[in-house]
Amino acid sequence: MTLHISETHLRAIEAYAEAHYPEEGAGLILGDEAGERREAREILPLPNRREAGERGHRYEIDPLETLAAENQADAHGLKVIGVFHSHPDHPAAPSQTDLHFAVPWYSYLITSVRRGRARETRAWRLGPSEASMQEEPLEVRTVSEWLPGDSDTSVASGAQQEEG
Amino acid sequence: MSRVRVPTPLRAYVAGQSEVEVSSASVAEALQELVSRYPALRPHLFGEADELRSYINLFVNDQDVRSLRGVQTPLTDGDRLMILPSIAGGAMSRGLRGVDHNALRTNQASIITLLLAAFVLDAPLLAAGVGAVMLLGTLAGKIGFLPVYWTVRRLRLGGPDILPDNPEPHRFSQGLGAVVLLGGAAAFAVGAPALSWGLAWLVIALASLNLFGGFCAGCAVYYWFNRLGLPGFSQASPPGAFPGRRPQPPVE
Repeated sequence: MTLHISETHLRAIEAYAEAHYPEEGAGLILGDEAGERREAREILPLPNRREAGERGHRYEIDPLETLAAENQADAHGLKVIGVFHSHPDHPAAPSQTDLHFAVPWYSYLITSVRRGRARETRAWRLGPSEASMQEEPLEVRTVSEWLPGDSDTSVASGAQQEEG
Repeated sequence: MSRVRVPTPLRAYVAGQSEVEVSSASVAEALQELVSRYPALRPHLFGEADELRSYINLFVNDQDVRSLRGVQTPLTDGDRLMILPSIAGGAMSRGLRGVDHNALRTNQASIITLLLAAFVLDAPLLAAGVGAVMLLGTLAGKIGFLPVYWTVRRLRLGGPDILPDNPEPHRFSQGLGAVVLLGGAAAFAVGAPALSWGLAWLVIALASLNLFGGFCAGCAVYYWFNRLGLPGFSQASPPGAFPGRRPQPPVE
């Protein structure tokens, strides 16, 4: 399985990660899946609802936000296909905590942010035994490859919902 | 009839459906009805003791069942039960911070090189100088040979290697090395050069063990002091690792 994402969406994820540095920023990815191809269509940046002292190395999304995302996916004929979050000053690889909370099937995009700059984003998925996470190939589609009229770029304004 | 909304990760276990109709009168019954019709779904909703798995959230018509009557919440005609997975995670274990191990390695390599040069050139002042730099670094809360690491970074000879770790034991370890070297300088001053060089070689050996073997003896001492409850040694060894061993990158 390969996760395809447009450069615009990837930039939006990385900008969100940078904006939340040194805290973790997270959100959901809506998209669809056909055969071995999984396509990110919409990015939903969401508030990290962990307490202030923990947000530097933890994230959690309010189930009500997940509910709204599921409803939005239904309305747009899409699915929630994954989660993105940032690792401030840590590698773009899953931690034990990420593994512990990983939900099967979802794609997990992790962006490493070092000194406030997004350095790398990689995709991961819970392995079949659920004992580890495995890297998922990530294909970034550049703007120039888009056909005119391709309207699959949508970045919700969830970033503005973030409290203080 | 009520409907159960199945999140995408679990649809594979209910024949790809996003919603399943149920005739149950409560949330608990609806879940049982669901897993009796789709047995492959059971391990994803329930644990071994038949308890609801901790990462499952349940909503009835957009209300969390925890704010209603839990799984005993009744379902009536037209109700919609949503199953939602918890979305959470984070960079690393609680309390651990990012420690740049390439900065530590640069420090160790600088210490080893300069102490060897001091021994070869019979320059005890150089060995004392290394101890002084380490002491100043420790007091400033940094590696002593930080300018060397800046140069390494500027010349792009190596990038950071940030691992989940506690910085305090490394600081303590450097301070311990500094005290040993300055003790060696004192030994030289009172006419005991053999003891002085012996102490320098001890620092060379332990820095090499750290650089090449990935074992920080000073950190191990720190963690032992922590275990004994000595004041000032507040950090415990990261779980799952032998105290003093270099932590593994958080990747499977």
